[in-house]
Amino acid sequence: MHKIITCLDGSAFSDAVCNAGIWAANKLNKPLLLLHALEKENVAAAEDLSGAIGLGARSSLLKEMATLDEQRSKLALELGKEMLSSASLSAEQQGCEQIEKTQRHSDIVEAICDLESDARLIVIGRSGQGNKQDFKALGSHIEQVIRQVHTPVLIANKDFAAPKSFMLAYDGRETADKAVKRIIEGGLLQGMTCHLVTVKNKQSGLMEKFKATEKMLRDSGFDVKASFSEDAIFAGLMDYKTNNEVEMLVMGAFSHSKLAQAFLGSNTLKMIENTHLPMLILR
Amino acid sequence: MLEKMKLEWLSNIRGDLLAGTVVALALIPEAIAFSIIAGVDPKVGLYASFCIAVIIAIVGGRPGMISAATGAMALLMVTLVKDHGLEYLLAATLLTGVIQIIAGYLKLGSLMRFVSRSVVTGFVNALAILIFMAQLPELTNVTWHVYAMTAAGLGIIYLFPYLPVVGKSIPSPLVCIVVLTAVAMMIGLDIRTVGDMGELPDTLPIFLWPDVPLNLETLLIILPYSVGLAIVGLLESMMTATIVDDLTDTKSDRNKECKGQGIANIGAGLMGGMAGCAMIGQSIINVKSGGRGRLSTFVAGTLLIIMVVFMDDWIKQIPMAALVAVMIMVSIGTFSWSSITDLKKHPLSTNVVMIATVIVVVATHNLALGVFVGVLLATLFFANKIGRFMVVKSEPSNDNVRTYHVVGQVFFASSEQFVESFDFKEVVDKVVIDLNHAHFWDITAVSSLDKVVIKFKREGSEVEVVGMSAATETIVDKFGVLSDPKEVEKLMAGH
Repeated sequence: MHKIITCLDGSAFSDAVCNAGIWAANKLNKPLLLLHALEKENVAAAEDLSGAIGLGARSSLLKEMATLDEQRSKLALELGKEMLSSASLSAEQQGCEQIEKTQRHSDIVEAICDLESDARLIVIGRSGQGNKQDFKALGSHIEQVIRQVHTPVLIANKDFAAPKSFMLAYDGRETADKAVKRIIEGGLLQGMTCHLVTVKNKQSGLMEKFKATEKMLRDSGFDVKASFSEDAIFAGLMDYKTNNEVEMLVMGAFSHSKLAQAFLGSNTLKMIENTHLPMLILR
Repeated sequence: MLEKMKLEWLSNIRGDLLAGTVVALALIPEAIAFSIIAGVDPKVGLYASFCIAVIIAIVGGRPGMISAATGAMALLMVTLVKDHGLEYLLAATLLTGVIQIIAGYLKLGSLMRFVSRSVVTGFVNALAILIFMAQLPELTNVTWHVYAMTAAGLGIIYLFPYLPVVGKSIPSPLVCIVVLTAVAMMIGLDIRTVGDMGELPDTLPIFLWPDVPLNLETLLIILPYSVGLAIVGLLESMMTATIVDDLTDTKSDRNKECKGQGIANIGAGLMGGMAGCAMIGQSIINVKSGGRGRLSTFVAGTLLIIMVVFMDDWIKQIPMAALVAVMIMVSIGTFSWSSITDLKKHPLSTNVVMIATVIVVVATHNLALGVFVGVLLATLFFANKIGRFMVVKSEPSNDNVRTYHVVGQVFFASSEQFVESFDFKEVVDKVVIDLNHAHFWDITAVSSLDKVVIKFKREGSEVEVVGMSAATETIVDKFGVLSDPKEVEKLMAGH
């Protein structure tokens, strides 16, 4: 449980992800692990619509497809190596001491799961190489990573700069309490201004919990700015974020039950989709 | 969940649509031909192909694999149709589906690992031979026109892809069928056509419960067929899944595929279709044409039924010779030609397994029997081979004591040799049997050790057995060594 796994794929977000990883590694004083997953594309290699199968159809097709895959993999491997080297160079320049590089043949979610036992934090871009750069499109991997991984996930957006303040959306549920605990215990957010924001919901005794949390954070040395609003959850949070120079969002992931998520979507995903800020998801 | 569905259905839309279309066109002649093999109207195979392809696209465990009415299954139902009629076939199809779903829940898909490569090769070769043989009735007692048409058809199928541009964008079997049908219609040849073989579908399939009495007698009639169909269907599906896995370098969910095949067959049985399974040739065509996702299978099934329903008047005109040409292509493409050249390279036991599988299938027309014989032979050969992996070394030590060191595998196949390795005629005071480097795999091994000990005692020698507990650790049915490196080290000691 000590590496900062930084997932690079050469997309527009890679630089930001790399910088975020370096920032976290330096702040937590942990080794930086640069990860590049060589994902297999589910796209046809050759198209031969002749529909005829002759002698040795299977073996010749296998050979043809294997050769194509080989060429593609080699290229991707080389590109990935270059990308990792340049990322590691820039990490070195920014004062990282322990830097590891690794490449894996699997999709990014699997790669992260394989390496998770050794992870302190996972840094990932909000969308990957496959996506066009329209703002709302969220990488298909994000949701899977958040759901499957038990390590905090830092989702980097474009142009990552070391944040000085963060906003914590607190809803009084268990996941939120856990998130608060992790914020206090983990050192990543130490010394930053904490905007503790709660939006009224059906939870009983929310106000008391909110006050207690505020005190807890203050006692742990955070500069806390607390706010309790009665708007709709999502709008309330978005408004607060825009009005108070928040530089990073922190959330406990997914407070609904699994079934509810599947049908209703969740505020977590909605937040990720609608923000330009880096976002830290705590489990 | 949703992500996975998106990946399996929509990640390769263009490729899947094109490949699905190619496969749909290739499926029509095959479905008709296989119906004829089974002795039912072409519509039974066409409905089956539609239902199975569409259902398996949704519930199958191997995206990109094509399932429909198949030759392997058709061959098994011939006598059932002949003796009892179509309704019993539909009932048997339902039961087949039920058996396959149970197999899926019992996770029998993993049993495929006992089917060795030579058995698989024998299976596909036998299948190819049977498909070819099934075409022979269309080629005997006919006029020279039919031979000419078939030859021309094969020529078109194999040479058309070499044409620039169009060659690789229009399926050549389709060209063959269109050209031969046009020629036959223009010249007005009096040769057999698809329309002569039975009824074609003119509507979408409708739900109907097989019209058979629900009693024990019915069950006893259909059960043997259903078991055979279920086994062959799963075997061919698992084999095809392995082939698609290899081609696309991805993994499939075998137990899900077993259940999927079952659901698909139940669907087919309820819609008036015959039982089917995954198709090796069509799946290769699908992958070759760029199909990867579930969408390709779905498109193949849907397009097939649309084309058949709207063009049944045209399909009726297709000469059987064109169909035979397509089926000969399928047979040639299914046959593993490299297995013939490999005969020289492979050891005799492997070749015997492969050829025995082929012979049994061709003789009985039952692929399940062939696979059974193949697996049995392969197992015996393997046991025999491992049985030789045992040696007993001995050394006399001073004071009239002899020590035997047993190294290797002791089990039913090697127990006799094990007993014979000891010299009971030698007069010694004490015998030490060192089992530290031996593995006792079964009760036979233990009892033969007992035999050895008793024999020595009868001769008046004192016997000491060393390392018994380590050697017998392998007797229990499940030993979880693979997860623990230390245990593996211990087990592999001496090898």
